[in-house]
Amino acid sequence: MHPTEEVLNAYADGSLTASEAADIEQHLGACLSCRQLVDELRDILRATSDLELREPPVRVWPRIERAIQLDRQDGAQPVQPGDAGTSPRLTGARVPGATSARSRVVLAGLAAAAALVLATVVGLRYLPGRHSDTAGSRSPIESSAQASANGAAQAVESELRQAEAHYENAIKGLEQIANAEQGALDPRTAATLQKNLAVIDQAISESRAALRSQPASEPAQASLIENFKTKIGLLQDTVALINEMRKGNEAGAARIVSGLKEKGN
Amino acid sequence: MRLTPVVVLAALAAGAQPARGQDMPHRRVVREVLRSERMGAYQGRDRGPAQTDRLSRKVKLGRDGRVTIGNISGDITVTGGAGDEVSIEAVKRTRGDQSQLANVRIVVDDRPGRVDVRTEYDSGRFSRNNNVSVDFTVTVPSGASVEAKSVSGSVKVTGVRGAVRSESVSGDVTTTDTPRVEAAKSVSGDVTLSGIQNDGELSASSVSGNVRARGVKAHALDLGSVSGDLTVSDVTCDRLNAKSVSGGFEYSGSIARGGVYDVNLHSGTVRFVLANPTGFELTANTFSGSIRSDLPLTIGGTRDDGQRRGPNRSMRATFGDGSATLTVRTFSGDIVIAKR
Repeated sequence: MHPTEEVLNAYADGSLTASEAADIEQHLGACLSCRQLVDELRDILRATSDLELREPPVRVWPRIERAIQLDRQDGAQPVQPGDAGTSPRLTGARVPGATSARSRVVLAGLAAAAALVLATVVGLRYLPGRHSDTAGSRSPIESSAQASANGAAQAVESELRQAEAHYENAIKGLEQIANAEQGALDPRTAATLQKNLAVIDQAISESRAALRSQPASEPAQASLIENFKTKIGLLQDTVALINEMRKGNEAGAARIVSGLKEKGN
Repeated sequence: MRLTPVVVLAALAAGAQPARGQDMPHRRVVREVLRSERMGAYQGRDRGPAQTDRLSRKVKLGRDGRVTIGNISGDITVTGGAGDEVSIEAVKRTRGDQSQLANVRIVVDDRPGRVDVRTEYDSGRFSRNNNVSVDFTVTVPSGASVEAKSVSGSVKVTGVRGAVRSESVSGDVTTTDTPRVEAAKSVSGDVTLSGIQNDGELSASSVSGNVRARGVKAHALDLGSVSGDLTVSDVTCDRLNAKSVSGGFEYSGSIARGGVYDVNLHSGTVRFVLANPTGFELTANTFSGSIRSDLPLTIGGTRDDGQRRGPNRSMRATFGDGSATLTVRTFSGDIVIAKR
C-alpha cells in the first residue's frame, strides 16, 4: 500500500512526527517509486529555497486574510477527548481533508457564508416598498423596466447600479468561499466549473458593454441581471459540491488518522 | 504551465503560516506548481494489468419499492425487469495492487421496500485508493423507483417505470424508456433522455454538457445549462423554463392551449418548431440578434411578415387564438419560430 502524495509531501517537508516518518521510511525501503518521488520532491525544495524574494500583488491580500482566518478558526475548534485532533496530522494543514476538526469548521463556515450570500440576494429581490405596482415577486430588472416605461430613466439606471452592486457583493463572497476550498474538487470538475464561470463572466462583460452604448436597452439590462443570477447559482452549486466532497474527505481522513493512532499506540 | 488562482492562494496561504516562516510565499508557489506537475506523473504509475473483483447479490424488494445507488468512481447501469428482486452485479477494477480491491467495499442495505447500494473506500493507513473504480449493473423490478448517483462515471437507466432521479458530476446521464424521470443532472457530462411521460415536473441540466430529450410528454420542463445546448424534440408540455448562457435552445413539438413557455439565453439561438399550434402570444427580445417567424403573426392589430432585424429588437405578437404564452429572450442570438 502506497502512502498518499500528501503524506509523502509532508515527509519531504519534514513535517511528520517521528513515528509517522518511521512508518514512511519503512515503506520507502521497499518501494522504489515512492523513494524516487520523495527524492524529486526534495530536489524541488532545494531548487526553490534560493529563489529571489518578491512582494505579492496587493490584490492577493484579502484572499490571504481569508485563508488565515480559516486557519485561526481551525485553532479555535475545541478538541474532544478521544478526538483524532490530538494527531499531529491535524496541525500540519498539509493534507486537505485530513483535518477533521478543520473540515467541520470549514463546512460550518461554508454553510453560513453561503446562507449569508443567499440572504443578500433574496433581500435584494424582495426589498419591501420599492414598487407598489405588483407583488414582491418582481425582479429588479422588471421593476426597472416599469420605471422606464414611466419615463424615469435616471431612476432606472440608479436602480440597476444598485442591483449590480448587490449582485457583485454576493458573487464576491461566494467566489472567496469557492476559491479557498476548491481543492476539495477533483481537478477536472474544478476546471469545468472555472471554464463555465469564465463563460458567464464573458456574458456579463458583453451585457455591460451593451449598456454603455445603450443604457436604456431592456434586453441588455435583463441580460446583465440574468447573468448575475446565473453566476450566483453556479457558485452556490460549486459550494454545495465542495461541501459534499468535503464530507467524503472527512470520512477518509478520519480513517487515516485512526490508523496512525493505532500504530502510535 | 498555467498558474491558477487556487494554486497561488493555497501556496501563499501555506507560506503565511508562522511555522513555515522560512519558506517564502513565492517559493511555495513554484514548489506547489512543480509538485502538482510531478503528481500527475505519480498518479499515472498504476498502469499495470487490470485487476477485477466481482460481487453478485440478489435482494427481494417488492414491485414498487425504492432503490438507491451511490458510487464514487465508475459507471452505474440500471435496467427495469420482471419479478420483485433487485439483482446487483458489481465489478471493482484497478490497475494498481490487487490488494487495493479489498479496501473498497460494496455495501448493500436492505429493508422492507427499500434497497440501498453504495461503495465505501476503506483507507487503511495511507491511501484512499481512489484508483479503484466500481461498475454497477443493477436490475430492479420495473415498477421500482430509482435514485442513482455517481461522482465520476456515467449513469444509465433503462425501462424503469417508477420515479427516477439520476446524477453524475463528471459523467453522462442517460435515461431510456423511463416515463417518470424527475431529475437528470450532470456537471460536465451530457444528459440524454427519451420516452418520458410524466404528470409532474422534469428537471434536466448540465453545466457544460448538452441536454437532449426526445419523446417527452410532461406537465413541466425545467432545462438548464451554462455552455451546453438544450434540445427537446417530439415534446408536449404545459410549462417550460429553459436557461443557458452560451448554449442554444431548440423545441420541436406542440404547445398546449394555455401553456406557458419561458426561454432565456445569452448568446444562443432560440428555435421553436411547432406542430399545428392553436395559438400563442409571443414576447420576444434580443439585443443584437434577429427575430423571424414562419407563422403569420399579428402585431398590434396589424399582420406582420414576422421579420425583425438589427439591434435591440423587441416584438409582442399574437398567433391564432393567443392562448399560450411564449416569452423568449436572447441577448445576441436569433429567435426563430418555425412550422413543423
